[in-house]
This record gives sequence, C-alpha cells and structure tokens, in this order.
Amino acid sequence: MSAAWAIYRKELRVYIVSPLATVFLATFLFLAGLFFYLGVTMTGEASLRIMMGNLSVALMFLLPMLTMRHFAEEQRAGTLELLMTAPIPLWALLLGKWAATVTLCVALLVGTLLFPGLLAYYGDPDWGVVATSYLGLFLCCNGFVAAGMFASSLTEEPVTAGIVGVLMLLPFWIAGTAAEMVESETARAVLRELSLTSHVDGFSRGVVDSADVVWFILFTFSFMFLTWRSVESRRWR
Amino acid sequence: MIEAVQLTKAFGSVRAVDSISFSVGVGQIVGFIGPNGAGKTTTMRMLTGFIPASSGRAVVCGHDVFEQPMAVRRSIGYLPETPPLYGELSIGEYLQFIAEVRGVPRADRLMCIGDVMERVGLSGMESRLLGALSKGYRQRVGLAQAIIHDPKVLILDEPTSGLDPRQMLGIRRFIKNLAEDRTVILSTHILSEVEALADRAIVIDHGTIRADGSIAELLNNVGDGVRFRVELTGAEAVTVATAIGRLDEVKLVEPVASADGVLAFDVRADSDPRTSIAGLATSEGWGVRAMERHAPDLEEAFLDLVGVEA
Repeated sequence: MSAAWAIYRKELRVYIVSPLATVFLATFLFLAGLFFYLGVTMTGEASLRIMMGNLSVALMFLLPMLTMRHFAEEQRAGTLELLMTAPIPLWALLLGKWAATVTLCVALLVGTLLFPGLLAYYGDPDWGVVATSYLGLFLCCNGFVAAGMFASSLTEEPVTAGIVGVLMLLPFWIAGTAAEMVESETARAVLRELSLTSHVDGFSRGVVDSADVVWFILFTFSFMFLTWRSVESRRWR
Repeated sequence: MIEAVQLTKAFGSVRAVDSISFSVGVGQIVGFIGPNGAGKTTTMRMLTGFIPASSGRAVVCGHDVFEQPMAVRRSIGYLPETPPLYGELSIGEYLQFIAEVRGVPRADRLMCIGDVMERVGLSGMESRLLGALSKGYRQRVGLAQAIIHDPKVLILDEPTSGLDPRQMLGIRRFIKNLAEDRTVILSTHILSEVEALADRAIVIDHGTIRADGSIAELLNNVGDGVRFRVELTGAEAVTVATAIGRLDEVKLVEPVASADGVLAFDVRADSDPRTSIAGLATSEGWGVRAMERHAPDLEEAFLDLVGVEA
C-alpha cells in the first residue's frame, strides 16, 4: 500500500509542476462556464442538466490528455525500467496512477461548484439532482481515466496515447446515436447498453439507478484489467 | 550471490543472449565487457527481472528471478543505461520517492537520503530540478537511487558513460568502495575501467561469453605469445628481421618506426628470446640499444577475443 501511496503522490507532484494540468483545468472550467451559460439562458431553468450532459462529453475528449503520459512517458524516459525493477506490485502502480488522476478530476469538479452556487443565489435548484449529477460526472471520470491509462500503456508516444484514448472512448458516445438508427431490436438494445449517454442521463435527471452505477464500475474495472495485462505483456515483447 | 544458468533471450529469430552461464560471489566486482549490441544490457535486464528470459534461469540472493521477482527486486540496486529520472522532480523529491518505493523505513529516510547524496557528491543540491542537470550529475543521481536502500547486489549498466575523466575517476572510486560487502556487476566498453575496477571480467560478444576470468588470466591468454620490443643500431633492417626471424622461439618480427639510425622491432615469441638476440647481435656486430618485454594489455586481449571490426 505504501508503494501505491508513493506513486500517487509522485504523480500528483508531476501534475502540479507540469503545465499540462493547468491548461487542462483552465480549458475544462472555461467549457463548464460556457455550457452553464448556454444551458441556463436556453431553458430558463435553474438546472445543471445541459451543463452536465455536455461536460461528460467534454471529459471524454479531454481526460485522455491527462492520462496520456502515465505509461507512454515512463516508457520513453526509461523510468518504467525503474518502476518495474523496484519492489512495486503492479496493482500498486496502477492504483497510484489512477487515483492521482481521479483526484485531479475531483479538484476539477470542485471548481465547477461555482455554478450550482450561482443557481442557488439567483434561484432554487434541486440539490438532489445537483448531487446525482456530480456523482454521474465522478463515475465518468473514473472510467475515462482507466480507459486513458490503457491507451497510454499501448504506445511510447504520449500524443499518440492521447489520440488513441479519445478514439477508444468515442464508440461509447456514438453508440447512443447509432442505437436510434439501427433496425434490429437486439442491436438497438446492445448499443443502448454500450452507450455512455444513456447511462449518464439518469444521473443528470436525479435518478441513481444501480444498473448505471454497476455499468460505470464495470467499465472502469475492465479498462484497468486491460491496462494490467498490457503493462505486464510489455516486457515480453 | 548471482547465478545465471544457460540464460537465453531471443527477440524474434535473433538470439540477443545465447545460453550464458556464470556465477558471482559476495564482494566481487565483475565487469561485463563487449562491443555495443553484444548482449550486456539484455543480460543485466534479465538479472533484474525487467525482461523475462526466453530460457534458462537466474538466481539472485537465493531467489529465482522469475519465481520470486519481488524478493529479487528488493535485494538489488539497478542503474539502467540511461538514468531513470523524472525531469519535473527535484533531486530531493526524487530520492524521497525512491526511498519510499524501495521500502526504506520512514524514520531512516531523511538520513539515508542525506547520506547517499553526500556519498555521490550531491550535497546541498536537494532542490535542483532533475530536468536541468548535466550528464555527470544525472549519472550521480542514477547511482544514488541504486544504492539508497543499501542493496546486497548492484547492477550498473555503463555507470561512467558520458562522463569526463575526472568524474569517471570519482565514480570508479565510489564503486570500488561500495563493493566491500556487496556484489557488483557493471558493464562497460571502456577496457581500462574493468582493469581499474573489476576483479573479474566477462567478455561478451554476439550474446555468448568469450572469456571469463581474472584480468591476469585474460591477459595470459592473449594469442600470439609474448611480445618484446628490440632496438638495435648499426645494421640493415631487412637483414636483422630475417636473422631474428630464423631464431627457434621467434614467431613474428615486425619492424616499427626507426629514427636516428636506431632500428626498432616488435618481436613475438613463445619464450624469452632476448639472450639469443643478444648473442646474434654480438656475432653480427650490431649495437643493442634496448630489449624489453611488452606487457600485453587488456585492449589486445579484448581484440583477440572479439576480433577487429571490419
């Protein structure tokens, strides 16, 4: 556990001193503000629904930028050799890196608390819905970080890892739209099940469906497992 | 301490390391020498467990590298070919991180870090960023991370590459001091380094061991017998060369640069030919300026083993 903790703090430290995280935070908060403004002016409701929906998509495109360095850069700089020859269990390495990025995401979400604050000042938002919306975004972050880490374990070019990460997440977004277009019932059901939007939707309406929560947990674990296999198999190539 | 048994690594159809066996005891410094691409790094990576062997096995401190990787990782300190540094961290932060993942107890960490920084000559540089360090300092930080947990076995891949002569001397002295109660394997293609540091050299080429033994043993095995330098005056080069070449023990005579009427020859012989040459000189009326035995150097031994690159 102490190894995971050490990795976690090292990753956070690297985030804090690198410009990447700052640029990411600024971009994300700018987009959040934009979505908030558009959402509120378009609907005239004291609700975060539009903002949350759009933010989950924005995260899909932006989060791989935060995770792209995790393994790709370690491989390129030769530090993976250090980590893989130190007594660090692989799970501790994965957990430390994952938790560090998720922590950054939480900081990001805390930054957006400004918007429900504004709603409360001028109106009367439904706090239950606000809470479930945040839970939904948090679960999205968990899954996207895992997927991004998997992408990063596949290459030693961080930029490639970032692009691969986005491409990997994209189908889960498109699946929702595709579901509306296919004829076959089964295909539609499968696509809906895969679709990220259909699982985020409940949270932004204030409904916490355990099936949705399980879906996100499965999503996260599947990609963590793939990352595990991928990092382990690196040595054999 | 370290035992390798028919260690082999194949990348596709290329055998980077081909059935290498050796063992190294406590307190020994062993130098891997060999040309670039000979398989030194691959062998070291297999010993650390970074890459698995295709076949054969390696045991470090009584633990099989493949079966008990964590135990092996705990007992070794490893400096890869390029020091594995995080450019964004300071020296202090980096060593703190290493001490943590290497399992140095919390109470000892600060002391360990201070101690190790002093030993590699980094005192007072805690806050310097790794990304801004020069090659020599990067190498020192690399060494510091390898020894911070006081490992029993040290594996150093080209520890002095890219350093200036003064830094090289410093690092060598440092490694020499380390070895007292440890086992050290280091690789290099600088022959004088092995001569200065190691008790034993393992010459690797094309993934196989060409020679394994003490430096003295390696030197004794230099192919074409003992070399002598002979300097004569008052004679013709050609006549002298033929006359000496006719002696029984002499295998080869090579004229080398001559100046001021002094003729110099390199003579290779099975046994000491100086008495016979002196006799020859007296009977032919040549003047003898010098005759000395040419101690074979490691350079020759090495080229003899791995051949000269065409």
